[in-house]
Amino acid sequence: MEYKVEAHRIMSISLGKIYNSRVQRGGIKLHKNLLVSLVLRSARQVYLSDYYSGACLNAQSEREGNEWDITDSEREKFPPSATECDRVESTEEPQPNEQPEKEREYRENDDEVKSDQVDCTSTLQEQNQNSSLDSVAKVSSETPPESITEPKESPSDSAVAERDSTPEANGESHQPPKPYVCSNRKRSAEESESGDSPQKRTKVASSNAKEDEEAEEMDTSNVSNLITIFGSSFSGLLSKESAKPEAEAEDSGQICCDQMLKNLNPWSTAIVAF
Amino acid sequence: CLSGIATVTKEGGGNDVQWCFSQVKGAIDDDVAEADIISTVEFNHSGELLATGDKGGRVVIFQQETENKSQPQCRSEYNVYSTFQSHEPEFDYLKSLEIEEKINKIRWLPQKNAAQFLLSTNDKTIKLWKISERDKRPEGYNLKEEDGRYRDAATITTLRVPVFRPMDLMVEASPRRVFANGHTYHINSISVNSDNETYLSADDLRINLWHLEITDRSFNVVDIKPANMEELTEVITAAEFHPHQCNTFVYSSSKGTIRLCDMRASALCDKHSKLFEEPEDPSNRSFFSEIISSISDVKFSHNGRYMMTRDYLSVKIWDLNMENRPVETYQVHEYLRSKLCSLYENDCIFDKFECCWNGNDSVVMTGSYNNFFRMLDRSQRRDVTLEASRESCKPRQVLKPRRVCAGGKRKKDEISVDSLDFNKKILHTAWHPQENIIAVATTNNLYIFQEKVN
Repeated sequence: MEYKVEAHRIMSISLGKIYNSRVQRGGIKLHKNLLVSLVLRSARQVYLSDYYSGACLNAQSEREGNEWDITDSEREKFPPSATECDRVESTEEPQPNEQPEKEREYRENDDEVKSDQVDCTSTLQEQNQNSSLDSVAKVSSETPPESITEPKESPSDSAVAERDSTPEANGESHQPPKPYVCSNRKRSAEESESGDSPQKRTKVASSNAKEDEEAEEMDTSNVSNLITIFGSSFSGLLSKESAKPEAEAEDSGQICCDQMLKNLNPWSTAIVAF
Repeated sequence: CLSGIATVTKEGGGNDVQWCFSQVKGAIDDDVAEADIISTVEFNHSGELLATGDKGGRVVIFQQETENKSQPQCRSEYNVYSTFQSHEPEFDYLKSLEIEEKINKIRWLPQKNAAQFLLSTNDKTIKLWKISERDKRPEGYNLKEEDGRYRDAATITTLRVPVFRPMDLMVEASPRRVFANGHTYHINSISVNSDNETYLSADDLRINLWHLEITDRSFNVVDIKPANMEELTEVITAAEFHPHQCNTFVYSSSKGTIRLCDMRASALCDKHSKLFEEPEDPSNRSFFSEIISSISDVKFSHNGRYMMTRDYLSVKIWDLNMENRPVETYQVHEYLRSKLCSLYENDCIFDKFECCWNGNDSVVMTGSYNNFFRMLDRSQRRDVTLEASRESCKPRQVLKPRRVCAGGKRKKDEISVDSLDFNKKILHTAWHPQENIIAVATTNNLYIFQEKVN
């Protein structure tokens, strides 16, 4: 789907900007990186939701008035163009303000109704333990703690004597951003509801679930590690993408990149540097 | 309450001001040296002096010639008065960061004596400069020759009193104060208080209050840094003191909000007195909504009743007594809304446009792309697009209004959106405090336009 490609393109552009900002003269510009990370997050939401909707179509969701379904059918009416990325978002409303609304909607339709985000996370982790883990996702969690401290503490205030809390503590106490968790919840709910293509979807869902747990550790990963992984993944992805525009989870390279994308906490890349 | 959307109804005619070319400063070369890129423009309080700062850390001050009364047609010109290197590139060894010498802002102090004072700032350090004239020098020292060499005491047979003799005017700039180490993040604004003793400086997350005489201390008045940086959602983009109320200042954010703070309320003004925010128009929601709502500039009106904000696509006028929406909204270049994706790719969406008021707060001005700038007349509900171009550089040549064709059939004299040059951007403009004289900075040139005199 072209929307997925567009969202993906925006994500790669955004990451490129974050990466380049590190080598720019004058140091990292907090404002610009914040804005780029917002776009990155929105693009990722679209990408993930898009990905989900693709699987959802196969599952013949019986959800009526479902926001994703509506946007999906609306999307098909739009011809592909450079402005797609703008319009897709306008129907999807990826704003953080919208998240509580979406979450409510999911809960209404979901058998596994959970009252808050923390429960949501633990549900996934529960599932996660029962499913196979992806090796790529695992690699990213193994970054040594020593390398974490340096980028996190580099912007320490010279004027103020405060001491930033240790990165590990931050990482563990930090909850993954709401929209990310929501989409994972939905995926897991969908998985439990329908049994179509269980093998393929289970694999994807489980790796997503795994990444949810990984996300916490990713928050504290070394930024350059992430960018390196992404760099190689993206070049691989782009070549495969052109060959198979409708690439599904069969492609291991695709999975790798998708997982990297889902794994990515846009905040960490931009903000950890500070 | 007014809630007007100004659109172009008609141009020219009537009592409209017609702008004509006066001067252009800077290299004609198409090849722009990065150090020559103008980064700030500011008139002083009388309008007699016009200061520019550039990426190379230099400040150039132009002075208006006293008008020739016998020849009213001959408009007073601005000529170079002083040039000095304000900031040098620095290196922060602790963080392995280079600190750019680019001048982010210049603010003049009100004149108190014969000398002029201005504040200039780069990303980290603010400096107070004294610009003074010297037009006489002492001559006739007993112990020294005119060139400064000491005379042989044995040759001195008489004594004389040294006298001042006229000399060619020399303008000296000397740094009187250096306000360093106050900011961890990049300074985006400075603003002199109406009390003429203090000023504020703002970076992405903090605002500090300084005393002009004291360099080793500053008070932090706003701090929006979250305990966990990963929770960061907005940054401070601009800040300014109220023109008359020395206890009041505003700061704008990347989320499109403006907070008004009263320093009498508490020492740390984290709690705002007023929050100005317009609810987002859901029909305009897009992928890049968050970026384009970021405010790049905030300016109080001269009378202190209004403030103006500039975001990527529009200019908004706010009444300080109404927080829930602006009283006026002007679209600067709405035709760019459908191009946001491309503008994100080429980084133009991050351009920070400034805006300014005219002397009586009836017209506001802001820049755009293709070396276009916009004059938005509040009283007459008219707006016009003009261009700063070397092609309209004949003396007193009247500027012709420009039109951009958003789509469909392009009329004659219109320029289509796709033909716009996004490398030619006007980010910085300034308006003379009393007269209809404007300074418009293109990438490396400074244009001065004046009102057509009949």
